[in-house]
Amino acid sequence: MRDDTIPAGAPLTGMVFAEGERPVFSPGDKARILARSPVGHYRVPTYMRGKFCTVEKIIEPAAVDNEEEAFGRNAGSKRHYYRVAVPMSELWPEYKGPATDGLRIEVYETWLERVPA
Amino acid sequence: MPETYQFVKRLPNDIGGLQADAVQQTDHVLLPWEKRCHALADVLDFHKIINTEEKRRGVEALGADLVGKLSYYERWIVAFANILFEKRILSPTDLALKMDEVAARPRD
Amino acid sequence: MSAHDHSSPHPEPAAPQHGGDYEIMETAVRELLVEKKLIGPGEIRRQIEVLDSRSPALGAKVVARAWLDAGFRGRLLENGRRACEELGISFYDDTQLIVLENTESVHNLVVCTLCSCYPRPVLGLPPDWYKVKPYRARAVSEPRKVLEEFGTHIPDNVEIRVSDSTALVRYLVLPLRPEGTEGFSEEDLAALVTRDAMIGVVAANPPTRSA
Repeated sequence: MRDDTIPAGAPLTGMVFAEGERPVFSPGDKARILARSPVGHYRVPTYMRGKFCTVEKIIEPAAVDNEEEAFGRNAGSKRHYYRVAVPMSELWPEYKGPATDGLRIEVYETWLERVPA
Repeated sequence: MPETYQFVKRLPNDIGGLQADAVQQTDHVLLPWEKRCHALADVLDFHKIINTEEKRRGVEALGADLVGKLSYYERWIVAFANILFEKRILSPTDLALKMDEVAARPRD
Repeated sequence: MSAHDHSSPHPEPAAPQHGGDYEIMETAVRELLVEKKLIGPGEIRRQIEVLDSRSPALGAKVVARAWLDAGFRGRLLENGRRACEELGISFYDDTQLIVLENTESVHNLVVCTLCSCYPRPVLGLPPDWYKVKPYRARAVSEPRKVLEEFGTHIPDNVEIRVSDSTALVRYLVLPLRPEGTEGFSEEDLAALVTRDAMIGVVAANPPTRSA
């Protein structure tokens, strides 16, 4: 999968990016979806909370946090969504299908924490 | 934590993984007002009068009882009205008077 | 599975034949917004035309093109939206599109557990069953059983990948090209691709003998 976030041409040195500007996670990273419980609005379904996942793809472009968007914020600071992979057996301990079956979902950066590979 | 807090933290639309009946392959051709309601949602989002995420939040905010009883576009139009009141774009009186006016028109 | 299901035990109510008070509310809201010049008088009609111009036939054309043109297929899998835009399909709702390729070893299924996210620019509006509880609740926890309810049996040596769409991204399944379609034109191939095949609940139709 090509990484569209790397600018073409020779890499610059000394460049400092603003907070949230560059994706924090890369494809292949191991992460955990956080287990917090916001009220009012959220887009991380309850069944995904606290589950371990693997980052599969960075979603471009970066976007406003949808929890804030739901209360009328249409612009301002943005972060990335990531398409993450979670095995069905991680979500549903009693899952009866093959161990290879899995789920994919987009999760906002602030909902992911890195775990050691 | 009180038992009722589960209803606060789990919104009525958050149903992934719950037990449910077998899938019935239902569909229907949208009624003219349903299609207008869908188009209205798109136009409200284009202008960011009500963005798509605000619409979703407005539907959730109807609560489990109404979400369970109203049809899809009934939920949308009631959510739009509530959000327009919150934003002070319309007042409840504006809408009530206009609805009376519309209701009094001869129907075709 | 969670026991605290507090949503209504009733199935989704059928939409009544006319909107009644809700239709009156829709008309009143729309007219007030036009009177206040927040939306233009022709905007709703125009958007209905946009909606009416989108149907599974567009998605079927995308799929058939991908089956015939390896270069297009590659671009489609890399960036679904950009490749569809090549064919003139606009993304009026400003969503992104990830195209999920079914193979001999992977079967993809699309759901939106939280609402009804759907690739409307390429497929039109979703069917009712996609928007109501049984499919939304169960596709993520017992996908094989749900697929059986659509008459689709996926053998255990094929991995199932369920994509739950929640935010920016919409998903379109690129089904396996049916056997016996060598030499088919793009039009003949597109005729085998149904809406449900692009959601991932069924396979593309096999060719009929006369095709």
